[in-house]
Amino acid sequence: MANPLAQFEIKPIAEIQIGDFDASFTNSSAFMVLTVAAVTLFLVLSMRRRAIVPGRWQSMAELSYEFVANMVRDNVGNEGRRYFPFIFSLFMFILFGNLIGLIPYAFTFTSHIIVTFAMAIVVFLGVTVIGFLRHGVHFLGFFVPKGVHPVMWILLIPIEVLSYLSRPVSLSIRLFANMMAGHTMLKVFAGFIIPLGILGGWAPLAMAVALSGFEFLVAFLQAYVFTVLACLYLNDAVHLH
Amino acid sequence: MSDEKPPLSLDELDARLRKAKAEQHQHEPDGPRGGASMSGFGMAFRIGTELVAALLVGVGFGLVLDGWLDTAPWFLVVFFFLGAGAGILNVYRAANRMGTAPRLIGDQTPDGDGKGPAEKG
Amino acid sequence: MRTLSRGSLIGLTLAVTAAGPALAAGLPQLDPNTFSPQLVWLAIAFVALYLIMAKVALPKVGEVLDERQRRIEDSLERATELEAEARAVAEAYEASLAEARSRAQDAIKAVRDAAAGEAAQRQADLGEKLAADVQAAESRIAGQRDEAFAGLRDMAVEVAREAAAKLVGQEADAAAAGRAVDAVLEERG
Repeated sequence: MANPLAQFEIKPIAEIQIGDFDASFTNSSAFMVLTVAAVTLFLVLSMRRRAIVPGRWQSMAELSYEFVANMVRDNVGNEGRRYFPFIFSLFMFILFGNLIGLIPYAFTFTSHIIVTFAMAIVVFLGVTVIGFLRHGVHFLGFFVPKGVHPVMWILLIPIEVLSYLSRPVSLSIRLFANMMAGHTMLKVFAGFIIPLGILGGWAPLAMAVALSGFEFLVAFLQAYVFTVLACLYLNDAVHLH
Repeated sequence: MSDEKPPLSLDELDARLRKAKAEQHQHEPDGPRGGASMSGFGMAFRIGTELVAALLVGVGFGLVLDGWLDTAPWFLVVFFFLGAGAGILNVYRAANRMGTAPRLIGDQTPDGDGKGPAEKG
Repeated sequence: MRTLSRGSLIGLTLAVTAAGPALAAGLPQLDPNTFSPQLVWLAIAFVALYLIMAKVALPKVGEVLDERQRRIEDSLERATELEAEARAVAEAYEASLAEARSRAQDAIKAVRDAAAGEAAQRQADLGEKLAADVQAAESRIAGQRDEAFAGLRDMAVEVAREAAAKLVGQEADAAAAGRAVDAVLEERG
């Protein structure tokens, strides 16, 4: 049986070295580029006809637009409009990355902690910068609990700061762990199909098929959760409580 | 001589127009509606990681500070508990946003960020 | 059950991740050598996606959605206007119908009155004419009768003279005969 973790290996396609810095084009890079191309094609091709009464593809493109637009509006309000393109790109990038990764033999770049962490840290830093730009030093009041005796601040402010700092960590671990666990499980079950042969192979096959369906749900859900939390964090920064 | 009322379909049309307009105005933009409508699945996955992430950050801080100041294991111990507190706070807030958190004493609005119960950590 | 095994697997993943370098060899995700190429290409891909979405794709979708929204609102507005118009037309129709009805009744009454007047006039005219005719006829008849009476007297005078001549043998005086006849006529009325 093949090592179920082998699917996560990074394999260079073209070595690119900038000084000491490794910027090789790898299987991960290829699937990132593929994801960008897929999202772009999906939106550009389906909106090509700009029909007032949309066809199936155009409906899906509009649905994705309105889904994210509603998410931003519900969680951030009208001030969130400016960040809509970013949130939309984030959602589509993760969603398509997750979905394309479900294709057999495809690579899932969201199953790498460094990728999810980078995205989470961008959201985290962006939100923090927005918070300070909008509220200046008052944004620090975010860490001071209200209605509590100042003596407790010694304990509570570090907890609040840790809680704030844990945001990108939980954001990235959740996505990474879900994608990695799902793909590992799929691989494990798929690996049982051939050794068990015709007699016993159907059981892991059925399991793998059922899991694949479940993974579709998870692929969407994790993209949604990542984006919705980005919106909630943004809301905290925009509307300081 | 015809003596009928105005055709009934006009009233029907009126009702349908009213309905269509009401539907249109449902989508009017407004402020944030507070709690995110997240599915139970998503929340279940979310809560687990919130706790672990805060704990990881706490432990990481502790290890780094101990390494710098050569105080092992004191900062690790302190930040482990602070991280656990932050984790519980995270979980409480995540649950609060779902609207399923138990009402704690001195808690504010249901969609408030629940700063009050932080002393539990 | 699937969720349970999944949960434990996530837990395992987390444990492995947290365990750090000791297990790094087994997890391709924790090999630091792969970090820089992934980060570089993540940045390239995401920035490209963001630019395409923000500059090209999303404005297009937004335009179509706005256009549809506008059209729906326009149609609704137009439908409302048309409905009001239809109502106004229906009311005007009702009003003009009622007016036409009352006017028609007036006209009919007028015509009926006129006809009745004319009929009476004609009847009166006819009566007058008939009366005139009757009078004319009466006067003519009276004239003829007078004439007839006049002829009768002359004839009676002649007859009386001839009868006198035959009986008496002597021509009677015309004047005397006339007087006699007149006397008789007077007597008989």
